[in-house]
Amino acid sequence: MSQQPNSNPPQTGRYGAGFVPPKEAMEYNCADCGATNEIKSREPIRCRECGHRIMYKKRTKRMVQFEAR
Amino acid sequence: MPDAERTLRKPTFNTLAREEAFRNPPKTGSTHSILNEFVAPHIESFNALFDDSGLPSGDGDGRGLISLGIADIGERVVFDGDGKVDNRGWGNRMRIWIESATIARPMVPDKDKHSSNRKVFPSEARERLTSYRGRMTIKLCWTDPHGQRHEMPKDCGLVPIMVRSVRCNLRGMSSAELVRKHEEPEEFGGYFVINGNERLIRYLILPRRNHVISLIRPTFANRGPSYTQYAVQIRCVRPDQTAVTNSLHYLSNGSAMLRFSWRKQEYVIPIMLVLKALVSASDKEIFEGVMMQDYENTFLTDRVELLLRSFKMFTLSTGDQCLEYLGDKFRVVLGTPEDWTNAAVGAWLIQKLVLVHLNNPRDKYRMLLFMLRKLYAAVSSSCCADNPDSPQHQEVLLPGSLYSMIIKERLEETLNQIRNTITIDVRNGVTVDFNDKKYFQKVLSKVSFDIGAKLSNFLATGNLVSPTGLDLQQASGFTIVAEKLNWQRYISHFRCIHRGAFFAELKTTTVRKLLPEAWGKLSMSRPHPRWIPCGLLNHLSRTCRIVTAPLTVAHIPSVLAAHGMTQSFTPSIDGRKNLCIQLDGRVIGWARPAVAAQLATNLRIWKTEGVNEIPLDLEIGLVAESRGGQYPGLFLFSTRARMMRPVKYLANGRDDQVGPFEQVYMDIACTPEEIEVGVSTHVEHNPTNFLSILANLTPFSDFNQSPRNIYQCQMGKQTMGTPSTALQHRTDNKLYRLQTGQSPVVRPALHNTYAMDSFPNGTNAVVAVISYTGYDMEDAMILNKSAHERGFAYGTVYKAQIIDLKDVPGASKAALPTLHFGLGRDIQRHGDKAHYCLDFVDVDGLPYIGTKLSAGDPLAAYIDDTTGRTRFVKYKGDEMALIDEVRLLGSDAGDSELQKIHITLRITRSPVIGDKFSSRHGQKGVCSQKWPAIDMPFSESGMQPDVIINPHAFPSRMTIGMLVESMAGKAGSMHGLAQDATPFKFTEEDTAIEYFGDQLLAAGYNYYGNEPMYSGITGQEFAADIYIGVVYYQRLRHMVLDKFQVRTTGPVDPVTRQPVKGRKRAGGIRFGEMERDALLAHGTSFLLQDRLMNCSDYSTAWVCRTCGSLISLGYEDISLGEVAMGASSALRPSGPGGEYCRVCRAAAEQQDERERQAMATGQAVPPPQADVRVAISSQHVLGRASKGGDLDIVAVPYVFRYLCAELASMGIAVSLAVT
Repeated sequence: MSQQPNSNPPQTGRYGAGFVPPKEAMEYNCADCGATNEIKSREPIRCRECGHRIMYKKRTKRMVQFEAR
Repeated sequence: MPDAERTLRKPTFNTLAREEAFRNPPKTGSTHSILNEFVAPHIESFNALFDDSGLPSGDGDGRGLISLGIADIGERVVFDGDGKVDNRGWGNRMRIWIESATIARPMVPDKDKHSSNRKVFPSEARERLTSYRGRMTIKLCWTDPHGQRHEMPKDCGLVPIMVRSVRCNLRGMSSAELVRKHEEPEEFGGYFVINGNERLIRYLILPRRNHVISLIRPTFANRGPSYTQYAVQIRCVRPDQTAVTNSLHYLSNGSAMLRFSWRKQEYVIPIMLVLKALVSASDKEIFEGVMMQDYENTFLTDRVELLLRSFKMFTLSTGDQCLEYLGDKFRVVLGTPEDWTNAAVGAWLIQKLVLVHLNNPRDKYRMLLFMLRKLYAAVSSSCCADNPDSPQHQEVLLPGSLYSMIIKERLEETLNQIRNTITIDVRNGVTVDFNDKKYFQKVLSKVSFDIGAKLSNFLATGNLVSPTGLDLQQASGFTIVAEKLNWQRYISHFRCIHRGAFFAELKTTTVRKLLPEAWGKLSMSRPHPRWIPCGLLNHLSRTCRIVTAPLTVAHIPSVLAAHGMTQSFTPSIDGRKNLCIQLDGRVIGWARPAVAAQLATNLRIWKTEGVNEIPLDLEIGLVAESRGGQYPGLFLFSTRARMMRPVKYLANGRDDQVGPFEQVYMDIACTPEEIEVGVSTHVEHNPTNFLSILANLTPFSDFNQSPRNIYQCQMGKQTMGTPSTALQHRTDNKLYRLQTGQSPVVRPALHNTYAMDSFPNGTNAVVAVISYTGYDMEDAMILNKSAHERGFAYGTVYKAQIIDLKDVPGASKAALPTLHFGLGRDIQRHGDKAHYCLDFVDVDGLPYIGTKLSAGDPLAAYIDDTTGRTRFVKYKGDEMALIDEVRLLGSDAGDSELQKIHITLRITRSPVIGDKFSSRHGQKGVCSQKWPAIDMPFSESGMQPDVIINPHAFPSRMTIGMLVESMAGKAGSMHGLAQDATPFKFTEEDTAIEYFGDQLLAAGYNYYGNEPMYSGITGQEFAADIYIGVVYYQRLRHMVLDKFQVRTTGPVDPVTRQPVKGRKRAGGIRFGEMERDALLAHGTSFLLQDRLMNCSDYSTAWVCRTCGSLISLGYEDISLGEVAMGASSALRPSGPGGEYCRVCRAAAEQQDERERQAMATGQAVPPPQADVRVAISSQHVLGRASKGGDLDIVAVPYVFRYLCAELASMGIAVSLAVT
């Protein structure tokens, strides 16, 4: 099931052998069923619930404030 | 008003019903079924491709166009021998053919194991920027040397599928289901989704099929010796909708030549050859067939005699001889099996290329005789030439027909490729073994079967790549993007019909004329003289249909014969007294004119009443005998692709469908009042039926000067409105949205019919017609600042930004991507030194939704594996934008990591000075001021206008409709009524002014809509009453923010140092020669100098006063106030800065040298000395040689210096005289 292509990407000497790209899971919404999906970087874009191939980024939880003039 | 009465009144705006329909779309059927009707020709013609089209089968067996096409392709034959006698002849015979072809619905690829729903829906294709395609497979069959049949399924790639067609997964869905599938509740389809864009095949006008038209074109005479300007032409269409055009040219020696084209190559053969080859006709039979007992007509007898005599030189007498002759000549080009006899090839030629709409040779023969008779009639001027630009002789190229033609041709090409590959192998001596299945596999692997890619390319570009040309006059421009700019523009794409790209280049304007024959069929748009496709791109009128279903007409000949028609096989018919009766280009009989007229009437009554199973869509074109008019006859048409429109038949009060051919000879009254007893046969259902959908939406269009209505049709399509109700799921490059759209108070009835309230296109505005501020000259308009602040005409632009890491420079072409969205280790995330990009970009490398962007801000971040660095995609626009949505797009099978994202940017566009607005009457204007509300004039009731326009907008433009709309809107607002503004409702006796004046009076207003008003500045009453009312205003998409172009300094062209052009590059606007002329004529030379020199490429240059050269400047390395002494201790001349002319100095030194040489014969040469510097300014040196040191600074345009350098490179010296 879990195909994680390129789990060890080609390394360059600059960052040493210990360099692993950060794997932070982000939450996205499936465009078809609306389910929340946790997708890590370099994982395939696919809904775990319905297999759909489009995800929407969730709206940020940071405060968004503009100067209203 | 008492409460009881209030409850009785029916709502006229239907706000609640509309809200309910939006909240709970109907579970069965669609909200507004009429929207599905106007794209029916698109969808049904596409459905006709398939055997399960759901269309009636007519006379056929219900097979789809693809099946019919495959049957017509037939088989290809190859041999493994090379045909040489010393070997074994042709050897084994192999037949190859395609048995069937299927196209599946769009599905998820089999690789994908996760999807719970295998179906793919159009919204996914749109959002993922892919194409909406289904898999096509064919069954390929061949025989081995033993005659054993083999078959193999072959994958033909993914074929684009028309949305809502029979192969679309949205087929038959209700509004509720459509909304669930992220579509419009009113989604009607009719287009293809190609790379996320909606593209459709535009209707194209073609010559009417299976009907002979006579042409008189002087260019025909240039075709060769003895050719004349006369010809008749017929565009024959096979059941699979592919066409072949046959022309019959009249030669000055009396005979005729048949012209056809095969693979874009034209061929002509004598008509006698074909007539004889068809039915082995004797000379007498042909003579009688053409003469038809009209022996007194010496014109005809002479021509026919010449025709027969001229054929004697061929010495071919029987039909078989003719076939053999034809086969012998055409064997090389046709590519028929090598073992066929010449006669078989000849027969094949005639079957495939001559009058292909007829199968029976006898029918073809009769039709050719008819063509000959019509040709001779045209030559003798007893009938006139037909006008190919008239809709009478036109039909429509349907999208599905074109699509099936392309599929058929591609299938045919694959078969040809297989055959050619084998033939080449045989010729090259490769071992060809028909028993070896592996060999055949090898051959197939060399042949491209990807028809889907070809079709995708066709739809994406509109270019037709075709070896035969498909009997069409153009090879490109077949498809267009259905822009969802606003709803009106979107729907008009599906109704537009183009004359053909070929005619756009024509110098003559005859093709552009809107002829009276087009009444009710076509509606013109854009009359602007500068508009190139004017008159070539029209729109179908509202009620116009295009026949897409085959009709049942096989029984009509027998029905007609039973009612007095003489059958076609009758031996002797008097051609003078009988009219030819044809059904779809087949001669079915003859009748005397009176009988023919009676038959036509009978047919019309039968078809309207459904008697004798005559289909309603049958077109009955009775052309009566006339002196020098159209060639007479009774022409019946039942085929597809004809434009038809409903009218009422007066004889029985039934609905009738009328086509453009018959319409010319009918008397159709526009209104019941116009019916003339004994003359009118039909009456229009509605006097507005001749208008297109868009034209029908103009209120009171009958009050306006006609060009204004056409301007409105144009501006309606440029309005910032509501493009879609599924905006979240749109990925269009640019969408314009009006935030505060309203339902117009004044609207024609069809506004409701076409559900235009679901897609509001403007705002009701209180408009005062007054010259008040002085800022309203020349169609400028004043906006009330408070109205603007309340959100009047507030708009938004949505722009798409696609970031595909595959296309980024540095992306690897290998299977595994080296670029990934995200933030790398090199980005400091926390603390005081956190990277600035974290304000915009999340840790996944994608922007935060809701972030405000300005030019140059990062949009997305990605890590490059090879360098380990993080790179950014920057926001390029120079306007403030907000991130509205971020889509992560997966791959087809959902098995690859994130490589492509789609970002929707929202750009706010509140109305500003310079934005364009218009009413619905072609009255456009530009906002010139936002006037403070306190300074606006006000009426006695305290009303202030939202918009002020200048009274001068009316007298010359005569848009009375706008004045009436103003009154009607005012009354409607007061009474809470949606006013009916359908044109042709009022008359001279019952005027609109009276009707709305009474309403205004009842609301307590002045009868004529004008009121006393007071100045907002002084408070004084105006001397005149002001016309003030409510008009629906549209905000047009032309906004200053997209157009303004201004610069003081900026980028310059590196070569010329002149300012660059183009708004995008911060360039200037060209001050051209006409502008220059204006300044010259005005005498403002300083301004001229400023524009063309100082603000452009001003530069200073040294010019040598001696030689006038600009390009020979040299510098002596001396400080100010010194002069250099040359080797000869002479002063080297140079300017005060050490500048000198290299050319002149060299010349001077050469001269010196020569003098010295001359003296050397008598005197000794002084020893060489180094340069000595003397502290004297060069001006003060006496005896200063003017050789090379006399330079001046002049101001010249930089390009001039460039020109001098360029000229010098060609050996041309430019000399400037400096005085």
